[in-house]
Amino acid sequence: MQNVVERVLNLLIYLLESPAPVTSNDVRNTVHGYADQSDEAFHRMFERDKQVLRRLGVPLKLEPLDVWEIDEGYTVDPEEYAIPDPGLNQEERLALSVAARLVRLDGTEAGVGAIIKLGGMERGDGLEPLGADLGQGAEALGELFGAISDRRKVRFSYRGHVRPVDPYGIAHRRGHWYLVGNTADGQRMYRVDRIEGLEVGEDAGSFTKPKGFDIRTWVSSQPWETGADPEIEAEVRFDAEVAWWAARSLGLEEPQRELTAKVAVSNREAFVGWVLSFGASAEVLGPPEMRQAVADRVEEALSRLEAIP
Amino acid sequence: MTSSRTVSRLSRILALIPYVLDREAADVSEIMERFGYTEEQLTRDLNTIFVCGLPGYGPGDLMEAYIDEEEVIIDAADFFSKAPRLTPFEALGLLASGMTVVGSGEGSPALESAVRKLSKVVMPDADTTLTVDVLDQSRYVGTLRDAAADHKVVHIVYRSVGKEETTERDIEPWSVFVTLGRWYVHGHCRLVGGSRTFRVDRIRALDILDETFERPEEVPTPGVGYSPSSDDVTCVIDLDAGARWVLEYYPVEVVQESATTTRIRFHSPDAEVPARLLLRLGGHAKLVEGPEVGLRIGEIGAGLLAKYR
Repeated sequence: MQNVVERVLNLLIYLLESPAPVTSNDVRNTVHGYADQSDEAFHRMFERDKQVLRRLGVPLKLEPLDVWEIDEGYTVDPEEYAIPDPGLNQEERLALSVAARLVRLDGTEAGVGAIIKLGGMERGDGLEPLGADLGQGAEALGELFGAISDRRKVRFSYRGHVRPVDPYGIAHRRGHWYLVGNTADGQRMYRVDRIEGLEVGEDAGSFTKPKGFDIRTWVSSQPWETGADPEIEAEVRFDAEVAWWAARSLGLEEPQRELTAKVAVSNREAFVGWVLSFGASAEVLGPPEMRQAVADRVEEALSRLEAIP
Repeated sequence: MTSSRTVSRLSRILALIPYVLDREAADVSEIMERFGYTEEQLTRDLNTIFVCGLPGYGPGDLMEAYIDEEEVIIDAADFFSKAPRLTPFEALGLLASGMTVVGSGEGSPALESAVRKLSKVVMPDADTTLTVDVLDQSRYVGTLRDAAADHKVVHIVYRSVGKEETTERDIEPWSVFVTLGRWYVHGHCRLVGGSRTFRVDRIRALDILDETFERPEEVPTPGVGYSPSSDDVTCVIDLDAGARWVLEYYPVEVVQESATTTRIRFHSPDAEVPARLLLRLGGHAKLVEGPEVGLRIGEIGAGLLAKYR
């Protein structure tokens, strides 16, 4: 590893300092650590080192060396290389450092790599007994985030189908990461850990995101609020035992005793399911068609039961 | 093959150099803390920097890096006056960390402005393209965190997850964390005389008692999944495509999978939870094994139909 670290540092310095793009031959003949290698060994090393540079966040580019575009050379623009300064003050740096240490993603501290690049961890007491685990993100998450910020189209396989998607946003909810994007059939949501064979398009700025798009509307709503059914207002009564629990889901003041609430429903299937999750402790009072829907669901469940020998 | 260790070592070196260059004096112990170095690692990285530089690699070409009177000195490294920009994954990790803490209700104004400033440089429309939903509907997370930090005993009214019952107990909170999108408090439960993990959203009411506790030196790892016991009710259920979401919300064991049906085994402390689940699934699921669950479905179902019909 020592050799690789030294070689990559030397390579990066060479690329940053060269006024014009350099060929792989230039690299081989100039940068310390590549000499005395067979062609094959050199190419293997160079490929690997380029990979390391990209993983470090170095914007390594391949550009034509002449107008005929016969030869190409590598270049790193120092302006593009440099981390933009977010202009954080001491207090903000400390707050971010604390947050970075608390939150885990893919089993490691999610923000610490970024904090190091931004000038290291600030010392200070924070929210110690607090912790957060954002589950598994895998590599796809970083690539998708990059694609969203550069407006690059993506393609992946999802449940056996290939999906071309214009990626609009990423949400974390209930322990999973989701991608929301536009497809030929409109906006869709995909679980990131089920995305396979992700390919990110070459061209940045290859789609426009609608102005009003807001990822938060995809996660903040309850299942019965997001549906294609004509909206209907249902009235439900919850027993005292569960009323506080229902009130939390509905975003209402927590009642001391039982609760009767009016709920706007645009997904009846989901609403019936939610009411039945309270067992006998909740009852839909109206309208009659919603009462009917609950009773029908119960009968369906009971009829399947009778089929058991 | 590129090892992650190589990448993280280089990343730290490329952040260390600009930090030191930017300062009159950089104290060794401050650097170690800020960048998470041991003394040995720091010395090794400085020695590495010292042998790298511009092509030619003569005395005037190499960077200078050494420790002098407890200060880190780096010179002749102007090409590294800035750290490399964040990779998309690093940017996402840090933004998500900040948003998680803000979303938990435990963020400070400093953290909120830090997240805003950071978004501006990595993803200007981050507030509508990235979201981490860790909303604490109970609003108890902050209180529990304070109690954990101050080692205060807390009295809670708790509605169990596996069993539909409400209990009152005194707990000694050790930590408060969010995982799989839900908040938990982990600590010693005086009612059961052992360590337990409680879902914060299931805490109906709490009181901070005027009594402190000794926090053990070594706190056991919290378990958030359901751990089956020999008294459990076990049932086997067939789910069709419309009920597959159950796999994401309940800790179930998949027994068999075909194109149309997923067969699962479900463990719970009583029959109530699987019975309510089957009722809400209606025609999308079928109980295959578990007579007590079937019985309970019959009871609840009959009670509901008596109300609705």
